[in-house]
Amino acid sequence: MPAPLSRRHLLARGTTAGFFIVAGQWLWLTPREAEARVFDPQVLSPEQCKALSILGDALVPGAADAGIAAYIDLQLQAGDESLLIGKYLGVDTPAQTEFYRAAADNVISLAGDKNSMQTFATNMASDSLSGWAGPPASYVLFVLRADALDVTYGTPEGFERLGIPYMAQIKPDKPW
Amino acid sequence: MVSKNCDVIIVGAGAAGLTLAARLAEGGKSVSILEAGPERKLGDLVSSQIWARKLKWSEPAVSESGNHKIGHAFNAGTGTGGSALHHYGVWLRMHEGDFSLSSDHGVGLDWPLNYEELAPYYDQVQAEIGLSGDSVKERWRPQGAPYPMPPLPLFAQSRVLAKGFAKTGRHTSPLPLAINSEPYQGRPACHYDGWCDSGCSIGALGNPLAVWLPRALAAGALLEHNARVSRVIRDANNTQRVESVEYLQDGERKTMQADRIIVAAFAVQSVRILLSSATEQHSAPGNHSDKLGRYLMTHPAGTIFGLFDEETYPHQGVTAGQLLSHDDYDEKDAAGGFGSSQWMIGHAIKPHDLLGYGTNRPDIFGAELEPWLKRASRHLGNMTVVCEDIPLPENRITLSDRLDRDGIAHAHAHHDLEPSAAARCTQRMSEGADILRAAGASEVWAGPRIGQHHMGGAVMGSNPEESVTDAFGRVHDTDNLYVAGPALFPSSGAVNPTFTITALASRQADHILSIN
Repeated sequence: MPAPLSRRHLLARGTTAGFFIVAGQWLWLTPREAEARVFDPQVLSPEQCKALSILGDALVPGAADAGIAAYIDLQLQAGDESLLIGKYLGVDTPAQTEFYRAAADNVISLAGDKNSMQTFATNMASDSLSGWAGPPASYVLFVLRADALDVTYGTPEGFERLGIPYMAQIKPDKPW
Repeated sequence: MVSKNCDVIIVGAGAAGLTLAARLAEGGKSVSILEAGPERKLGDLVSSQIWARKLKWSEPAVSESGNHKIGHAFNAGTGTGGSALHHYGVWLRMHEGDFSLSSDHGVGLDWPLNYEELAPYYDQVQAEIGLSGDSVKERWRPQGAPYPMPPLPLFAQSRVLAKGFAKTGRHTSPLPLAINSEPYQGRPACHYDGWCDSGCSIGALGNPLAVWLPRALAAGALLEHNARVSRVIRDANNTQRVESVEYLQDGERKTMQADRIIVAAFAVQSVRILLSSATEQHSAPGNHSDKLGRYLMTHPAGTIFGLFDEETYPHQGVTAGQLLSHDDYDEKDAAGGFGSSQWMIGHAIKPHDLLGYGTNRPDIFGAELEPWLKRASRHLGNMTVVCEDIPLPENRITLSDRLDRDGIAHAHAHHDLEPSAAARCTQRMSEGADILRAAGASEVWAGPRIGQHHMGGAVMGSNPEESVTDAFGRVHDTDNLYVAGPALFPSSGAVNPTFTITALASRQADHILSIN
């Protein structure tokens, strides 16, 4: 595990995203930094975060490094201020937490190892997974893939990865 | 004895509310505006589709049902500027026939005014806000003053897509936009960076923060934020009169009184406020004939995407698009369905978010995704069809059994799409795929049919038994309560509503100023 951040480093960072517990300490980090330090999620369990991270990365390679699990957990902490795309899809704020918990629990109970995740995702798309519980698997796939696109390609770094000029009027000082 | 705080209270600081605030304050009225959401400034509008979600409606959530939901959270806004803060600036006049749907076709409702009565206000508003377009190339445009600015430039994507329209015998014109193609009245020209949905921070797009708010404040209007109106209250001694509004702010329940009260809180929340104002003695204002909340409408719309060999660079331009086609607009009865329709062509688009090209291909994931996104980022074309919704009394806004933490009922919105309107949308989307193929697309796909814009719920009309307000937005069973904004629309047409919302508000302001 990387060494804890120093106060000097934190002050030098200037623009950051939120508080995360890392190794028992509250730290002010971006989700990407938090995930890199194996953050302690506040809403989802560590196992649920890992499951969402693995599936998100299978859908959109790079999403795990971009901090998809920390992003989701941080937004669920934000309540009414959540930036998750689910608000556009008629999932109200209280229901979003249960949505992601159910999604992760399905992955934990039904998916195999990391190598079988592509097949698992294909079966999610066709709603053909036996034993799936909660919101339809194809809908979960759509939402989680959209979250993964957000963290991977919805930032200046993501645009650069695709070779698109970001052309910000006001550049965001943090990705989310 | 009730003391008066101001001449006019306006509920909602969106396009309609701030247009009225500017006009009435400049006309000598003392105006107070109560906005439910937080204060927003142009400098807050960072260029990010993720952060842009803060501008959309959040809580209290609106529950929805029906076979074509209105998408409340996506279409509505909260905070200064309301939904117009994240609107794309497509400013189109409704056509003459949009005002007489029932008389001409035997469906839906008529407006209590015609195009000729509204046209001077379209002209007035377009000169104030500044529109860019080409009124000659818009061969279908109703009569009116030419646009004050030339159209925005065309980028590679729209030049490619225009070929498909030409090859299939259709016409296009520059899309008329409330976006500056050149500096206009102290506001700069557009940068063509595609960040309209995040709110235009430079003021090139004529959102309410750039145009109406500065004028309203300069004329003395007062604006309070985080002031959520729960209901309006009738005068106990004169039930034709509404004397005050009740609102929640900083954890306190407050009231404010005025001579006139204007509810301009977008379609759903305006109706929620009025429905919540019923008492044991009186029905909700405007609901004497059970019409309040009914005729809720949303434009059925869908985007068609295509990949081309030619380079299109779809990040360039503005979110709204670059070209327009209204060829079939006035043929509401044409075979294949019912209603008008229009194409908005060549949207500047991002890889992610609800309307992004990556999001709209959920079948592509894993190792195939990034190469596909890189190709799309250079070779994608897209355009959106907007179709007419038919006003139905069964489509309505009601109060939910669910209460928020302050004990205020949430709103519920039910909306089914009438089958002939659904058929028209399906027909046009199929034609759209053919147009893209004619333009040279090697691969074509369609996004889902969605609901764009909200209209109706407190419809205006000549007959008090069939409507909620008169032609000036005054609620029928009151002397001094008004509704403003899209809730008034008796029919939807198939054009984006902000121009008509603003023209109607301007007309209402003249009417109120004419009353002693």
